[in-house]
Amino acid sequence: MRLDWYLPVLRKSTPKPAQNDTNGSVHRLAELVLPANAFSDRATKRRGRVRRSLRKLGISWQAAPVRRAIQTICLLAFLGLFVYSCWPYDARPLPPGQEWTNWQVSQIDQETGAVTLVQAEPQVTDRIDALDGSGVHLVIPEQPGQTEFVSAPMIVSRIQLGSVELGPAGELPAEIFDRLLSDPLATWEIHERKPNQWPRHYADNLAAKEPIPAEFFLAIDPLVSLSTAIASRSWVWSLACAGIILAICIFIPRGFCGYLCPLGTTIDLFDWLVGRRVTRWRVQRDGWWVHIKYYLLLGTLVSAICGVLVSGFFSAIPVITRACLMVIDPAQTALLRGAHLVPSMGWGHAVSLLMFVGVLSLGFLQPRFWCKYVCPSGATFSLGNLFRVTERKVESSCIHCNKCVEVCPFDAIKADFTTRVTDCTLCQTCAGVCPTHAIKFVERNNVVELKVIDDPPTGETPIGRRGFLSLAGGAAAAVTGGIGTAVATKAWGAGLSDTSGEIPTPIRPPGSVPEQDFLEMCIRCGECFKVCPNNVLQVQGFDQGLEGLWTPVARPDWAGCESSCNACGQVCPTGAIRALALEEKRHARMGLAVVNESTCLPLAGHSDCDLCVVECQAAGYDAIEYQQVGTEVDDNGLPIPGTGFLAPLVIAEKCVGCGLCQTRCFGINVKAEHLLSESAIVVKTGDAHEDRVTEGSYIEMHQKRLDDRVEQAPQDKSGPESNDSVPTIDFGDNPFGL
Amino acid sequence: MVQAENFGTDGYNETAPSDSRFPNELHPRVASLAFLPATISLLTIVRLTETIMSSPKRCIGVLAALFLLSTQVNGDTVEFLTGATLQGQVTGIRADQKEFDFRSRVGRRTVQKTYRFAEVHAVTIRGKRHVLTPKLDGAGGKADAENLTPEEIKNLIQQEGSKPPRWLASTKLSVPNSLDMDWPLKPPKNGWNNQVNVGQYIWDIVNPNPSRWRMGVKLVTTIIDSHQDDRQLLIRDQKALGRMYFHLFQDYARAAYWFEQAQVNIQDEGGVMLAECYFQLGSRDMAMQMLRQRRLPPGAIKLLAELGETDSALRLTRMYMGTQAEPEVCLLAGDALRNISRNDEAIQFYERVINSNKARNKDYQARYVGRAQDSIEAIKLAEKADVSKVADGKYRESSTGYNGLLEIEVSVRNKKIESVRVVDHKEKQFYASLRDTPKQIVEKQSVVGIDGFSGATITSAAIVNATAKALAKGAK
Repeated sequence: MRLDWYLPVLRKSTPKPAQNDTNGSVHRLAELVLPANAFSDRATKRRGRVRRSLRKLGISWQAAPVRRAIQTICLLAFLGLFVYSCWPYDARPLPPGQEWTNWQVSQIDQETGAVTLVQAEPQVTDRIDALDGSGVHLVIPEQPGQTEFVSAPMIVSRIQLGSVELGPAGELPAEIFDRLLSDPLATWEIHERKPNQWPRHYADNLAAKEPIPAEFFLAIDPLVSLSTAIASRSWVWSLACAGIILAICIFIPRGFCGYLCPLGTTIDLFDWLVGRRVTRWRVQRDGWWVHIKYYLLLGTLVSAICGVLVSGFFSAIPVITRACLMVIDPAQTALLRGAHLVPSMGWGHAVSLLMFVGVLSLGFLQPRFWCKYVCPSGATFSLGNLFRVTERKVESSCIHCNKCVEVCPFDAIKADFTTRVTDCTLCQTCAGVCPTHAIKFVERNNVVELKVIDDPPTGETPIGRRGFLSLAGGAAAAVTGGIGTAVATKAWGAGLSDTSGEIPTPIRPPGSVPEQDFLEMCIRCGECFKVCPNNVLQVQGFDQGLEGLWTPVARPDWAGCESSCNACGQVCPTGAIRALALEEKRHARMGLAVVNESTCLPLAGHSDCDLCVVECQAAGYDAIEYQQVGTEVDDNGLPIPGTGFLAPLVIAEKCVGCGLCQTRCFGINVKAEHLLSESAIVVKTGDAHEDRVTEGSYIEMHQKRLDDRVEQAPQDKSGPESNDSVPTIDFGDNPFGL
Repeated sequence: MVQAENFGTDGYNETAPSDSRFPNELHPRVASLAFLPATISLLTIVRLTETIMSSPKRCIGVLAALFLLSTQVNGDTVEFLTGATLQGQVTGIRADQKEFDFRSRVGRRTVQKTYRFAEVHAVTIRGKRHVLTPKLDGAGGKADAENLTPEEIKNLIQQEGSKPPRWLASTKLSVPNSLDMDWPLKPPKNGWNNQVNVGQYIWDIVNPNPSRWRMGVKLVTTIIDSHQDDRQLLIRDQKALGRMYFHLFQDYARAAYWFEQAQVNIQDEGGVMLAECYFQLGSRDMAMQMLRQRRLPPGAIKLLAELGETDSALRLTRMYMGTQAEPEVCLLAGDALRNISRNDEAIQFYERVINSNKARNKDYQARYVGRAQDSIEAIKLAEKADVSKVADGKYRESSTGYNGLLEIEVSVRNKKIESVRVVDHKEKQFYASLRDTPKQIVEKQSVVGIDGFSGATITSAAIVNATAKALAKGAK
């Protein structure tokens, strides 16, 4: 087995015949495709066109172009997922469908059930001609007191002037069928679209953009799922992805770091742009820091065992995702939507940005210092490397030129040119620069023509007394640190154990698991903020102490949760927000809108106001109704028309706490009119108002709430009469008595 | 084998194979051929085919029966006024009630329906054609509802009005537990609480929310059931139900039924509404009979005017001059006069409202004055509001309604009013006008001669005034 896909360097013409070419299969394939002048000429030692152009890009491009290309693709993919897939604002609701009113049945085809309708007063029937053969909906015109339209899907089978024939698309609903036959003079409406459909454009938009899931890179960061699973003591779906990537990395040891990780590529870019020009802070290759990553990994896992999830602070993909969120997202919003739509920044942002700057600044010490020595996700792969089946091997043709050591970005080559197997990412740059082709990537137990180990001497021993001591010390520090962090986080935490209920929990995204589980499962990657339309979800600062730092919080003063969107759950890599179908999400309660009776304009006797009612009904929840307040009573105790105000009345069983009402009240009454100092309708959280479950259907829970509220109507007692046969009746000559 | 379940006029029979609502099916083998009904569902045919397959000897007999039946199934024909026809079988005629039962098969379903003579142009029974309702000008549409005899109206009210609406059974009652379902006669004067007193609950919670109207009817219906022994309470409940059907649903037959049950007379609350019900159902005479009284409530002014009795209406108006009802009756009289284009007299009445000081309080005064001023303005703009002079476009205007400004948007195209849309309003008690008045304006293509509903004239007038202003705005 050989895994060579580097581009070998030609320094001298080889006497070997061409068929014994040591080039990899990729090269042989390239020979079939590319023209001859793309390749170097072994006889003249003239470099080919491919090699020359790659050299212009840099030595590592020339040495291992496949790796660089994959890195580039992955970084672009990551940015694409972030900037494009998680950008909801190109979603557009369907334009309202055309409606044609005032139709009467002129004919019913009793064989097929098709009905012909004529327009009682021929009106403008724009576009109805275009509907021939397509689906429309036959609708009963709105009746007083009706809450839902009744409609049936139909197929337009024939269109003439002012007359349309509709064939039923399936069984007609009983109510429609009944009305067709029992009320021959009734009028009907034809709608292009099913009436009262909930919008679903945000959900559809994300689904259409997700051939690759937006959270792909987060899901394949093994530390994300591993630590979450440990902290929450539950199965996390992305563990499967982590398992797959770890399995792949048995064949390409630490390949994630060398090829896929967008943070690593960003750090490479930083080194190329900045780091290599500033050598003042460069440190030597060895030092006490070389094993920090293991201790950090141990520390975060110990924290996780204690039920505190801090791995998101250091884990590679959450770090880069959060950085993008803090930098790219506001820029994108400001540029494409307007600066006034960028939510205000808080301490959470500042700390996050500082951390990212810190990660990049480590690049001043050494290229990819973070990846080599600090990154706990990398440490997971390093440990995974212990089970590798392939590795880098050096043959005896090595001439000790040291080029591989100099070029290795991961400090994975010992002084004797053999491999530090836990660090090597199989990037193959070393093989690309090796003048003698002494480096190969083969199965682990391959011992063909290997060079002598410890020549020149490395000075490294497997594990000495000092090594053991440092290991013990580091491990102890990690465990202490992990426990310490956990204790500190709990001490300065969300205070969930305080059952007095005085500390309100923040409003979490719809479908969030119970608060304690949520804090244990939320990896703080920030993907949900990015994907959330109108930035309902925003970064929490230190409101819940350390424990809730960077978790998503809904800010209904800023915006309300869109009824057509279920994106946050779809992109959550850990399941802290459940990935709900849109229908389920519409029933998942985030809280309960509570009207402040002392400030609400009509309730306080100030003026009429129905902003929240209109907003709620427009969104389709119908959870806020009107109530008449302050009605004056006449001498008989009867209400006087025209007195009092219409005020909002929240139907608790229907409210899902989306916050649209609060947004509206805040936007108009507080911001624009300055009538109030804060919204008079506010989403409140609390056990009774939220659906925070790890499994189960929100629709069923909602239905149960409604059923509990509704007293079952007494059943209609009049039973059906049975009538098995119809005798033929003789009606006589003048049966109708006319 | 074919089950017929008669739900009365609303009934229909469904024998789709997947339907499990009709469990008492007999296997075709059991059923005697002689009792095969005239209608056969698809299911039956499938089962018969099975039978044929299993017993070839009977095959011919069954096929023959089927053939006979198939000719019988579509024996009779109904021609509706719209031109639609149905083949089937007349199964019963009640000439006194002017309705008949008709059984037909559409698609895979067999249905029995009851049709009123007024809906049907002609019926052909065994080849003989009977014309029930002549077609008017060859056009379809509702039969002229005017001029029904009192007997016909009484029948209609008994037939249609006494039956609960078909949505009632499936409407769920959901009211606060604290609600006092006894609903005592006198609501508390102090301590207005819409969570306890049914009357207040209906006013505060049910009326403003269309989604609760059906539930409100359910509530009152339920209470009526429990008040059968207490005449006084029962009458109050029945009036309340009548008002609901009248105001919320414009269901005049049911409203009239319940007002009649409560035996309202013209002096009572609901009396004028009952008269209007008669009028709306098609009997001007019955309405007039109720209004032939010496003392009529102010609300009768509007109805009298609509019935063409302008003089009586004005006489009644004068009776209330100088009382607290003065602004109200003057507005009603003004509206009545304006509708028959006696504009100068109308303006006099409106001006009287502006100068009157009889209103209950300042708020009321302001509203009355606002309405009167809007009406005067609308009259003065009436000439401009002629739609044939209005440029294409959408125009918005507002006018004073019950609870403040009401805004409409009128859309004009090709010298026609395409639509009138109420875009903003605070009217929540009497919703009917919000739907009906714009419809009337579009139908009449004018803001003159628009009828309001009893008790909802203010909203209606506001829409008319705002539309007139908007049209004037767009006049060339």
